[in-house]
Amino acid sequence: MEAALAESLARAEPAEDPLARVARWAAGYRPVPGRPDEFLGPDGQPRGAWPRLLDRLGGLTETEILARFVAAERHIRDAGISFRIAGDQREHPWPLGCLPLVIEGAEWASLSAGIVQRAELMEAILADVYGDGRLVEEGLLPAAIVAGTPEFLHPLHRVMPPGGHYLKLYAADLGRGPDGRWQVLADRTQAPSGLGWALENRMVLARTFPDLVQDLHVERLPAFFQAFRDGLTLGAERIDPRICLLTSGPYSSTYVEQAALARYLGLMLVEGDDLVMQDGRLHVRTVSGLKRADAVWRRIDSDFLDPLELNPASRLGVPGILEALRNGSLVVTNMPGSGLVESAALAPYLDGIARRIFGEPLRLGHPRTWWCGDLEGLAHAQANLDSLTLRPAATPQRGAGRDAILAGPVLAAERERVVAALRDRPFDYVAQEAAPLSTMPGWERGPDGLSLAPRPFVVRVFATRTPLGWQVMPGGFCRVAEREDVDPIELRLGIRSADVWVLSEKPVAAPAIGLHAAPRVRRVGGHLPARAADGLFWLGRYLERAEAVIRLVLAHLRSVGDAVGADISGALDTPAALALRALLYEWATIGAADLPTARLAQEALAGRERPGSAWAHVESARRNAAALRARLSGEAWRVLADLGESLSLDTGWALAESQLAGRAERALSQLAALSGLTHENMSRAEGWHFVELGRRIERAVNTCTFALAFANDEATPGCLGVMLSLCDSQISYGRRYLQGAALDPVRDLVLLDPYNPRSIAFQAEAITRHLADLPALAADGIPEPHVRLATRILAELRSGKAADFDAVRLTALETDLERLADGIAARYFPTGPNALRPEKLTGLA
Amino acid sequence: MAAGMIYTLRHRTTYRYGRPVRFARCTLRLKPQDGEGQSVLASAVTIDPSPATAVTRHDYFGIDALAITLETPHTVFSVEALSTVRVERAAPPPPESGTAWERVRDAVVAGCDLGGRAPVHFLFPSGRVPLLPEVTAYARPSFSAGRSAYGAAHDLMLRIGRDFRFDARATNVYTPLSESFALRAGVCQDFAHVMIAGLRGMGLPAAYVSGYLRTVPPPGRPRLRGADASHAWVAVWCGAGWLGLDPTNGVPVRDDHIVVARGRDYGDVAPLDGIVSGSGKQRLKVEVDVIPDTETQDLALVG
Repeated sequence: MEAALAESLARAEPAEDPLARVARWAAGYRPVPGRPDEFLGPDGQPRGAWPRLLDRLGGLTETEILARFVAAERHIRDAGISFRIAGDQREHPWPLGCLPLVIEGAEWASLSAGIVQRAELMEAILADVYGDGRLVEEGLLPAAIVAGTPEFLHPLHRVMPPGGHYLKLYAADLGRGPDGRWQVLADRTQAPSGLGWALENRMVLARTFPDLVQDLHVERLPAFFQAFRDGLTLGAERIDPRICLLTSGPYSSTYVEQAALARYLGLMLVEGDDLVMQDGRLHVRTVSGLKRADAVWRRIDSDFLDPLELNPASRLGVPGILEALRNGSLVVTNMPGSGLVESAALAPYLDGIARRIFGEPLRLGHPRTWWCGDLEGLAHAQANLDSLTLRPAATPQRGAGRDAILAGPVLAAERERVVAALRDRPFDYVAQEAAPLSTMPGWERGPDGLSLAPRPFVVRVFATRTPLGWQVMPGGFCRVAEREDVDPIELRLGIRSADVWVLSEKPVAAPAIGLHAAPRVRRVGGHLPARAADGLFWLGRYLERAEAVIRLVLAHLRSVGDAVGADISGALDTPAALALRALLYEWATIGAADLPTARLAQEALAGRERPGSAWAHVESARRNAAALRARLSGEAWRVLADLGESLSLDTGWALAESQLAGRAERALSQLAALSGLTHENMSRAEGWHFVELGRRIERAVNTCTFALAFANDEATPGCLGVMLSLCDSQISYGRRYLQGAALDPVRDLVLLDPYNPRSIAFQAEAITRHLADLPALAADGIPEPHVRLATRILAELRSGKAADFDAVRLTALETDLERLADGIAARYFPTGPNALRPEKLTGLA
Repeated sequence: MAAGMIYTLRHRTTYRYGRPVRFARCTLRLKPQDGEGQSVLASAVTIDPSPATAVTRHDYFGIDALAITLETPHTVFSVEALSTVRVERAAPPPPESGTAWERVRDAVVAGCDLGGRAPVHFLFPSGRVPLLPEVTAYARPSFSAGRSAYGAAHDLMLRIGRDFRFDARATNVYTPLSESFALRAGVCQDFAHVMIAGLRGMGLPAAYVSGYLRTVPPPGRPRLRGADASHAWVAVWCGAGWLGLDPTNGVPVRDDHIVVARGRDYGDVAPLDGIVSGSGKQRLKVEVDVIPDTETQDLALVG
């Protein structure tokens, strides 16, 4: 896209009338016959809000529009908005299309009414199936459809959700049917995703086209999110409830979205291992011990929630959590088992159930569907196999081709197999009217500039339960296929996402603050989950380790290159150069200790295959940070991305020493920026202490290692010079001492001087302070073992003399520091040896 | 065979752990079923260490499950269930009697009963019984058009008994169905799962039954303590009720089988199931005694 921008900037754009521009964009727009289109009605005339949107866009030149696309893409990359395709490790930048789906307020109002009725209907069906079972008894809902859904969770039969509601969040995938009316392609009640994407899309597009959002009266989203957050705790026992967002972890395809939502809504992002049942209540493992959890928004399927009573193979859930649902001490959104109503086989019965329960027909329909467990349905399916799509009865997807078992003309053998399956177990299938997706405009870039083309799309809309009824989000999460052969029901390559704009008649007021009861004022964001503490600690350690590697490389480049200090020789075989190479080799940053200087520097900085390279440590830090997205600021994330880029050197491209030094220095500044950000922007709550502890311990350990190599009893002046440069202490030293580097003064400065922020003593002082600020487990006033160890290390440094710190003493100190790190891990982190890891009892028939 | 038997059942399970377990949460399904030709005269469970909490739940399928938590650190966990049960079932019907299997299937699908005893719950794949095309194909020859459901199921049972080898070393409790079917070998659990998959594949509801089987010591030898085992077989829905068939032994179920629980597969009825915190290595020992009030049976059956 950057190339396209440059190209169009280069081309002198003739002044063009906005109306002419829009007409040119739309000139080739041809909806596919028989498929409803958002922009052009059946009469070929523009409709709805599209003319208003396009006229406004026409006021911008194509150069301006392209520049905005580029800015949007840059923001997405910088903010780390990304997604993962299921089963794929890589993250892909979020593919946001820059044309929103626009819907007029009046049309939206009638659509919303349909959504609300459908949400209410799903709630009623769940309450009945898990309660009295009248719908089945009266024959309005076949028992075999309910029994055939794996989401009918028997242990939850007759368990009333606290607060009385099964659904707090309902979502529906919509498209237009052949008659041009909106219809539901899939109901989503299990754990609908997309709320976070909708929010991100809006944030990006509002930055990209701020005036448009204002002038077109685009409805705002915050009130919906506030209502949703309030709804999460409806029915909770305590007045100030703790809410957790239960994720399946950083490898989930929507983890980035979950982290963004946790941050936006102020929820604690937890994995199953972070939670534990005790005394019939759910608790979070935090660094302050177990803390009660009152509400959970689960983003894992119900079946995985409790390995004890549901799927025994689940590693994502919490053993025994259903007990907390039974005794009413926990609110879960949506209630486990709610996925039941996603079943495609319900479709033929929904209208009848709506008439029975509400006394009115279903307002918002779906593609015509026949359940083959019904004799008439089976007969219809068998007679019309060629024009129908056949799918498993119990799955939710109802979009285009997805999960279809038979769709359209197929090979005879395949057809035979399906006919046989229909004969053996017809009740496992539904047949559905096959209709292609309706279309909306998307940008197409050609040699003559931009144009519009119809693209298949699906839009997901959301409704949340409030004490006053259902509230529909005035917006949505839209997915648009860039090509005809991709199915936009699921995110994958070839799909773009689009914001959804509901246009109000009147100007939209900025969201009011204080609509709801003012929250209690607090200064810390609640207790830190043990897992997050672990991640933050390692984030600090990895970044510090990366810095140490970079400093080693720089010291080597300098000692060989421009020989800044008079006492540093330019030769390769000085003790200092040999020791630097030995250490770089020992740290697995390079493959051999005798590489040419430039190769060595490039490998140590950027080697992808070297587990110890600076790049590898930054990558590890990034992986850790990915699991901490809910806790890191956007800026920190951006600097981390830049840092990775600085250390990405093309291996096929040999850089000169001076270029490598430049890269290394840039990376050092970025590391300094990160540490500045943690210092200036991170709240001094528990999380900050753990980043700092990680950084301080790593720095102290590295300084010990450096001192063993460069400030031992045999150290040459050259070695001592390197020692000073590794500890960034040349300037302090030069100010204090007129003569060159001497052993005891150097040792004192880098080991024992409590005023030097690079000395081990300084790190020990900081560590002791951080530990004192962390919560203690027992209130008996006795220091915990790791605190005692930190105190002893500090006392030794405070009382020591420079001359005493020979190799033996330094090695002992290094060992003590590593033991301190282990002690902190054992006390606070879930991976510690004392952590309670649940294991299954082995069974016997 | 005398109609009606009284049994004393002893089922002792012992876990030994490599490291002390500080917390455990377990579900026990050890109380024999009351009703359908059985009455429980006495039943008691002894648990060591003694549980911090113990709640009895009657689950959706009518199984009595005792949910316990252990909060005292321990390296040995033992459960002993003692029960006395009278078993008196009607003689199984002749194999080729009863409603045609197609009609049984259609009636189940059209049914309006979602209760825990309703056959419709046993029609679909479950955690340990996926529906595999090869198993359905294996079952199909037993299902000629219009044959009675019981007749077809009885035939399938006899075929499995003939075609599969009883081999305790071929499989373990976690062996998936596809594997034991391919091996044509396994223990009672595997035989039952294969038969259930075959029946469900053809559209008949089938349940997994856990329990005990009366065995007879070799002639002239005394009964050895703890030498028996728990057993598993199949119940098939025949239109009017459930009928038990034991594919491991190729016999219909009558008074030699003592039912503990009936579920969709082993997962629903596992006698002891749970999660412990930090056990290190686990060693498991199970001892079962099935003691009839008389010792006059001469059929030798394997469990």
